[in-house]
Amino acid sequence: MRRMLVVCALALFAGGVSLVRASEIRVGFTQDALTLDPGNPGVRDTETIIRNMYDGLLTRDSAMRVVPEIAQSWTQPSPTVYEFKLRDGVTFHDGTPLTAADVKFSMERVLSGKIGGQTNPRKDLLGTLDHVEVVDPLTVRFVMKAPWPLLPAMLPFQEIVSEAFVKKVGDDGMVSAENGAGPFRLVEWRRGDSIIMERAPGYYGGSPDILPVGPARVDRVIFKVMPDNAARVSALLAGDVDIINALPVSAMKRVEDSGTARVATVNGTRTAFLAINNAKSPYADKRVRQALNHAVDRKLIIQRLLGGNATPLNGVLSPDAFGFDADLPEYGYDPAKAKALLQEAGAAPLKLTIDCDGASKDIAEAIAAMMQRAGIEAKVQLWETAVIVPIWRDAAKRADHDLFLTSWGNASLDPSDIVMPTLRSGGRANSAAYANPEVDKLLDAAETEIDRDKRKGLYVKAQELIHEDAPWVFLWLPKDVYGVSKRLHGWQPSADGKINLHRAFVD
Amino acid sequence: MTVQRLVEKLGHLLVVLFGTSVLTFAMTLATPGDPVTVMLGDQRASPEQIASLRHDMGLDLPVISRFGAFLWHAVHGDFGRSFFHRRPVLDVILERLPATIELTVAATLIALAIGIPLGLFAGIRRNGVVDRLASLGSLVGVSVPGFWLALLLMLAFSVSLHLLPVSGRTGYGGEPPAVTHLLLVDSLIAGRPDAFVEALRHLALPALTLALPMAAVLMRVTRGAVIEVMKADYVTFAEAKGLSRPRILGLHVLKNALAPAINVAAIEIGVLLGGNMIVETIFGWPGLGRLVVEAIFSRNYPLVQAAVLLYAVTFVILNFIADALQGALNPRLRA
Repeated sequence: MRRMLVVCALALFAGGVSLVRASEIRVGFTQDALTLDPGNPGVRDTETIIRNMYDGLLTRDSAMRVVPEIAQSWTQPSPTVYEFKLRDGVTFHDGTPLTAADVKFSMERVLSGKIGGQTNPRKDLLGTLDHVEVVDPLTVRFVMKAPWPLLPAMLPFQEIVSEAFVKKVGDDGMVSAENGAGPFRLVEWRRGDSIIMERAPGYYGGSPDILPVGPARVDRVIFKVMPDNAARVSALLAGDVDIINALPVSAMKRVEDSGTARVATVNGTRTAFLAINNAKSPYADKRVRQALNHAVDRKLIIQRLLGGNATPLNGVLSPDAFGFDADLPEYGYDPAKAKALLQEAGAAPLKLTIDCDGASKDIAEAIAAMMQRAGIEAKVQLWETAVIVPIWRDAAKRADHDLFLTSWGNASLDPSDIVMPTLRSGGRANSAAYANPEVDKLLDAAETEIDRDKRKGLYVKAQELIHEDAPWVFLWLPKDVYGVSKRLHGWQPSADGKINLHRAFVD
Repeated sequence: MTVQRLVEKLGHLLVVLFGTSVLTFAMTLATPGDPVTVMLGDQRASPEQIASLRHDMGLDLPVISRFGAFLWHAVHGDFGRSFFHRRPVLDVILERLPATIELTVAATLIALAIGIPLGLFAGIRRNGVVDRLASLGSLVGVSVPGFWLALLLMLAFSVSLHLLPVSGRTGYGGEPPAVTHLLLVDSLIAGRPDAFVEALRHLALPALTLALPMAAVLMRVTRGAVIEVMKADYVTFAEAKGLSRPRILGLHVLKNALAPAINVAAIEIGVLLGGNMIVETIFGWPGLGRLVVEAIFSRNYPLVQAAVLLYAVTFVILNFIADALQGALNPRLRA
């Protein structure tokens, strides 16, 4: 008993002193993973964690370029067929080889639309894929029902699982068991608390386009669940974690001044905008919508409320997206012009309500205040996200609503994923009730246009039309802000929010 | 406790459970918001997949059959599937329960250890130094907001003094094999003092944050009860009989003054077992509070239903225990 007490006392003391860690990277992360099954991760944060344990055919580097990973090369023999050659010698963490059969199984598992008896919406990320053929143990063929130029941009979302393993543990078992081909393998998942991974010894080396090729450069990676902003920042400053995501603007200066950590930002992929109810009068008149665009001083809001961490947008797309039109003119801040346009349209005096959720309340209020200067009587109405989003997606329910401060993510950086749902007539998130048949024609054509330049041209034309129509008040693209310890190297933040630690190491 | 009483109590429990289920179900219906929208977020999703997901969740069925199906399955121990977690609801809740139990027990023990002795002392020596200090302390304890106290403790002990960890439940050495899933108990069973200490260090701040307000209330309640008891006739009679002070205190005052404290403690324990969203978020403690609040925001109906039923059962059982304890301390209160 006494010896136990002495050991306890020593351990208490030792615990208080910071121990030198075997090379280990700790990430202070906002959310726990929902599941470890890459077939149906559910949310971006879960994917971020899983992506360190499972590799895919293709992946993205931190500049968001699509590069081959498990695939060695690929060709497109016809508009509806893609052929991937796999690397030789890739194994899963249990030692079994990764072959074309596993690729076929992984894709068709997602394509089936159901995993573990539950509908799997990830099926739609494979577009018009019909089936996958095994040509030989290192070659697979993707056969599409119709040409789908997005496939290369969307494949980085899919990871390869072991057919034998899935059959052994079942879909339900895949939620908590892991057998991928990534640089790290699962040690333990302490639900709600942390996920502990260690270097996978048999790792094939990863993508040759992301240097240096080879096994993971640290022994362990731990994703620690820390939902509270203050706790996350404290942990970074105390040296308990090496990376934190979602660094609040208010803490940026503290991190920069700390000397032990720095701030890292990257253009995000969520376009922020004010959806205007195009179906409600007077917003059906283009001049009113353009007036609203002139009534908001985006640069000031970015500077004052977002700490400068956003890129103003004149349209829908991120500057890093495929087909981004850099020549779109700006709807400059001009309250006088806004007033004039409103008068011309016979809409003055204009009264409106801006719907927003708790997180964007300050921005909505700033926008409302700016609109007052253009003679618009604007007020803000706060909602819970789960309530207001379905309202705005239903034509009948949104009939009396005016503006909605919202955003839409585009992790693939392909216009199809953002313009189709939000601006094509009938799109599932077309809250603005925007309908322009010419734009629809351009977007539909771009869905199946294989020629890159032609496709880009279609999107550029669509952006010009959308810009002219101004169905939204175009706002900005927020940056993702991370806090990074100075002892961490080999990692840059990535626009799609991934924290891929394949090449990261610590001093 | 007779069999008849036991059956009566069981009957009460069933009524409470049924009533709670109906109320919760009615509330989930009345609350706007759509779980499918929350689940899908910005992901590319076709109308067919959306409809299929709604069908999986039973959202396209009429209300009565949804409730009927829920009751039928609940009676058989199947609380449905949490679509967010891709696992049965019961599994998700039971996973987070040990962490909440551990935190509740720790906070309660600390609160009892501080609150009751202080209350006794303050009541016996009314208006003495201890009494005044304790009363001031208890006022602060109930007024201070939980999140402020949590952040203050974190700032002091973790960030400035580096004595205790910032958040989480465990360190990163290997965990002891799970027997009870209570880390403190498991590490002792496995003979791992290092794991025990790590678990204790992580438990300290969240437990303290929850314990201090509870201790404040316990102190005041105990103090009030002691003062009442000291004025009672039987105490005066005992003094007149010539019984020594310690005997009076131990035999009469203590037993009777504890009664209200037990009631308060039972309620507080019930509340703590529901988890505390604020403390769990700030300290990253993987308990029920965060789980259930997140479930409410994401309209995870099966999980919310199951959690509320669990809370109802917990409260009924705790009240049962409290009544029994009261009866043990004071035979006059026995049924």
